Amino acid sequence: MKTRDRILHTSLALFNEEGEPNTTTIDIANELNISPGNLYYHFKGKDQIITELFQQYEHAMSHTLSAPIERPLSPDRASVEDNWYYLYVVMEEMYQYRFLYHNLDNLLQRYRDIKRGFKRLIQLKRTALYAICQTLLQQKVIDAKDQQLLGLADNMTLNLTFWFSYDTLLHDNRSPQVTIHQGVLQLLAMVAPYLGEDELSFYHDCETIYINMLADTSLGPR
Amino acid sequence: MVDEKSKVTDKASEIAKNIWLAGVGAYGKAVEEAQGRLEKAMEPPKLFRDLVKAGAALEEDARESTLAARHTVEERINRVRENFHNQRPARIEDLMALHKKVDQLTRKVDQLSKALAEQGVSKTSRSKTYKTAKKSAVIAATVRRRAGKKQAKAVGTANKKTSGSKSATNKRKA
Repeated sequence: MKTRDRILHTSLALFNEEGEPNTTTIDIANELNISPGNLYYHFKGKDQIITELFQQYEHAMSHTLSAPIERPLSPDRASVEDNWYYLYVVMEEMYQYRFLYHNLDNLLQRYRDIKRGFKRLIQLKRTALYAICQTLLQQKVIDAKDQQLLGLADNMTLNLTFWFSYDTLLHDNRSPQVTIHQGVLQLLAMVAPYLGEDELSFYHDCETIYINMLADTSLGPR
Repeated sequence: MVDEKSKVTDKASEIAKNIWLAGVGAYGKAVEEAQGRLEKAMEPPKLFRDLVKAGAALEEDARESTLAARHTVEERINRVRENFHNQRPARIEDLMALHKKVDQLTRKVDQLSKALAEQGVSKTSRSKTYKTAKKSAVIAATVRRRAGKKQAKAVGTANKKTSGSKSATNKRKA
């Protein structure tokens, strides 16, 4: 791996684990065993690292979010569960860059570009979720009025965006699997009232897996 | 009367939808830019129409640029699905499928032992035939036993975590 990529990689790990405000460029250089001068040669400061990490995130996330807008994730009713699996994909991707969400207001105030990018991502997120809900409606998986559907998509976007903060407030240091799984479970709980009996079985399976996860001691605090 | 009412509702949901699309339109441009134009534009509906158009155009763009990305999203969905199935509680259908497989295997083993026994009769002595037949019977029994174990294991996957989860699964089955 090139030094430049290593710097980004290590910065992301430190930001996620220690928090972005608590991490200095000196910390990053120390962690990498390189001199601060070497780091400065690649990045003119923490701002530049953060901006570049956000660009990576925006790029990846935009692609992921475009998928259900472009064409339904489930071509027919039989593959409806792909929509639920997709929620895991989105949340896992968010988790990789979770430092952004743990310090969101602060970051948006400090960086106008990131603020702009984040606004774009939120719009794309709710559009993607709305597209999924529309597919579900067309395939008669859910039964809802158009207006309810808009509300549902917004609620899901809201939940998705602030899930990590909420989870951290409720439980310190849970394993990523539990955090992500419960996040998806919460999203499903919003769709559940509109689901028929058949599709509810997936929701119940999710609940069972969650209970198993909580009972599994190997998934305890990190 | 009823028609009038549903017309109003239709219109309302159309407006709501447009607001939505306008939101996507704002994705394409800098929001500040749009706001600047809002101050200048004396006809807000025009701007609104612009945004809706921009939103629609953006959906087109998204369609083109994401064909490649689609693949990876699908791959990742597949990975999650696999992972999910490993953790999922066993269902009646899964058990039935396993039963069917065990039955098929048993039948195959029986056929094989029969064939072996017949071959044995034509080529070797009686005692050897007897031995071969016995051997295949043992094989058949082992396969049956293993299949049984496999089935138990499949059920066990759902319950293996702890007794707490076991009771949860049982409750659900009840």
